[in-house]
Amino acid sequence: MEHFLQSIDALTIKFTLIAVLLPLLAFVINTALPAKWSKVAGWVSTVFILISCVLAAFIFSKVWNGHQVHQQMLWFTIGDTPVYAGILLNNLSVLLLLLVNLIALPVHLYSTAYMRHDEKYSRYFAYLSFFCFSMLALAVSDNLVLFYIFWELVGFSSYLLIGFWFTRDKAVFANKKAFIMNRIGDIGLLSAILVLFSMYHTFDLDTLFGQINLVGHSNIQNGLWHLSSNSVPNDSGAIVITGGSIQIPAIWQYIAFAGIFLAVAAKSAQFPLHTWLPDAMEGPTSVSALIHAATMVAAGVLLLGRVYPLFNDAELTFLAIIGCFTAFMAATIALTQNDLKRLLAYSTISQLGYMVMAMGIGAYASSLFHLVTHAFFKCLLFLVAGIVIHQMGHIRDDNNLEIDPQNIQNMGGLRKKLPLTFIAALIGGVALVGLPFTSGFLSKDGILVQAFEWSAGKNVFFKIIPILALLTTWLTAFYVARLIVKVFFGELRVLQFKPDLKLHMSDGTWQYKLPLVLLSVCCFFPFFSTNPFSQDASWVYNGLLGILNETGFAMVLPVVINIGSLLIIYFAYTIYTGKRTNPFAQTGVIFNLSFNQWYFDSIYQNAIVKPILNTSLVTFWFDRRVIDGFILLFAKMSVALSKLAAWMDRNIVDGFLNLLVKAVRIIGNFARRFQGGKVQYYLFSMLAVILAIFILKTFF
Amino acid sequence: MISLTDFMVVSAVLFCIGLYMIVSKHNAIQILIVIELMLNAAILNLVAFGRYDRVANSGQMFALFAIVLAAATTAVALAIILNVYKRYKTIDPGKIDNLKD
Repeated sequence: MEHFLQSIDALTIKFTLIAVLLPLLAFVINTALPAKWSKVAGWVSTVFILISCVLAAFIFSKVWNGHQVHQQMLWFTIGDTPVYAGILLNNLSVLLLLLVNLIALPVHLYSTAYMRHDEKYSRYFAYLSFFCFSMLALAVSDNLVLFYIFWELVGFSSYLLIGFWFTRDKAVFANKKAFIMNRIGDIGLLSAILVLFSMYHTFDLDTLFGQINLVGHSNIQNGLWHLSSNSVPNDSGAIVITGGSIQIPAIWQYIAFAGIFLAVAAKSAQFPLHTWLPDAMEGPTSVSALIHAATMVAAGVLLLGRVYPLFNDAELTFLAIIGCFTAFMAATIALTQNDLKRLLAYSTISQLGYMVMAMGIGAYASSLFHLVTHAFFKCLLFLVAGIVIHQMGHIRDDNNLEIDPQNIQNMGGLRKKLPLTFIAALIGGVALVGLPFTSGFLSKDGILVQAFEWSAGKNVFFKIIPILALLTTWLTAFYVARLIVKVFFGELRVLQFKPDLKLHMSDGTWQYKLPLVLLSVCCFFPFFSTNPFSQDASWVYNGLLGILNETGFAMVLPVVINIGSLLIIYFAYTIYTGKRTNPFAQTGVIFNLSFNQWYFDSIYQNAIVKPILNTSLVTFWFDRRVIDGFILLFAKMSVALSKLAAWMDRNIVDGFLNLLVKAVRIIGNFARRFQGGKVQYYLFSMLAVILAIFILKTFF
Repeated sequence: MISLTDFMVVSAVLFCIGLYMIVSKHNAIQILIVIELMLNAAILNLVAFGRYDRVANSGQMFALFAIVLAAATTAVALAIILNVYKRYKTIDPGKIDNLKD
């Protein structure tokens, strides 16, 4: 029996490896593919992700609610510390593994149609596969070093895909911004990993946070972060600490938290590092759907889930405050955005804020549950946005209009032209708002209920968090209603100023329709829970060991929330189906605050980017003038010296030789004259010499 | 009475004229003549010194001897000049500066 179980585990590990490496193989194939076969690239990636998806489903069925599978091998040794690399499959890992595959499959399918006319088709799929590889590996890696590597690779592939249309300036700025912001987070994660290593002398996630749970057994006392060896259960056979107890100043624990918070804020677009995500919408919409709505941005929440035992109460409260603030802020911004994708991006930030807040209030399982449900409906909404933008782009190109295909002010009435897209958008929107019978209801209302319970026994200031979260839900209802009504109801607004447009729009081929249908199905409650009104019945929630206290909140709150949401949706419907494009005044402090995205971009631009650029200019000037100047001066001196040497060579050394030559020539010419063959001259010279001798003899 | 010095002066003048002519003339015949002139200056010296040997008259004897030799050499030189003229079609010694062929 034991042996049988082990062989099953070995098979699971093998399948996991294959599932993770298949997208990498697709990346390699697509990179090596010759240009004339580039149309194959989409199907290579799609088929590979399909196989990976099937394998992930198998692995999921084996591991979920079963025992944890962990296999590792020695990777390298630093000094006496061995570092292991391996695969850790527990509920969280396999959930992410399956989720990423389930989202990636429809997105791949959709991309084969969406990117069909792009000339860099094969490169797109290569990048997409590379991203899937990094994300899957991130989900299953068992130690912090591997985790960090794939964390970086995820950020890097996101960078590649945001800047996929790199001939547009905006895309290049956007991917640069995303990359730099993610680097800030990466630095945080790296420093947190180093602090954890210096404290616990291991990178292994299972040892740190799993069964042995070193982090759980350490505590902070008298300003020291303390872990004693006898508090560690050693029955698993792993020798964890060599000798005595470990203690370092408590400040390091806070530094580790700060690092992890930075990493989460950068990847999951939380305040203050959220501004890259709206700009990242410059990438292809299918990429936004996969990476910037469903999977990569969830990596931050995944990290929080992984290192959850590290946080103490103050730190959790901090997370809750930041998450709540981010959720509220992003929701208010989403109210006034007119760019379809930007609006959805802010909605994503808002929902990610919910997840972080849920982590902060201790609703660990609800947070991850919301991550899963959000991935489906937000991906669905992005795919819908992709179709709408595509069709608006067609209208623009067919009629040579000067309109922005992403601006929802130009849209309207699309429900008749794009019926399936409309239904999908409706389902996604309803799930996002969290109305009953959808997955969003289960996860979101669970978070809200727990937020109210969390604040119940606390100071009055803590009440602000659940109230803001509640407000955010209603804001969400409003902006979702505004979005759907503006895009799908009423009449097409482009027709108002150009009535004779040629319109031929459709939902598109089956590659567009199938992903919408698949994801729409996943937005309903039966996929997650048998009971549409209770989170308790959800398998995801139970698998993540969520405990819901049945208090009065759980009964009353969802009713209040949903009645409020429905009223707001009805209100939004009535005002936005009216004749006017903008029923509200486009002025005022609050409108400007929201429309300009709380001025974060301009604050960062003025407070951080400009000083850095100016410093760079100064250092550039210093480099150019002082360092280069010194080198140039040196070069000029060398040239001058060389010129002097050359002059010396030419005039003094050569001159001496030339003088010699001249003297020899003069003497030679002089002597030659005596040898001219003229007899009389010989005689004359002879006489002259004799005379000279006589004169000399006579007078001296 | 004519002193020895006068003879010597005449002889020296003749010799010097000869020297000058021998380097400045462009005609081999003239040079030959001038050589005779210089020989005669030397013979004049011999004759003038002959007063100190009135017994054997050896000065005069040498003079006769030298005159005969001069005649012989002149004959040889004339022959050479004739041959030179045949070959070079000139008797200017300044133009005859080839030793070869």
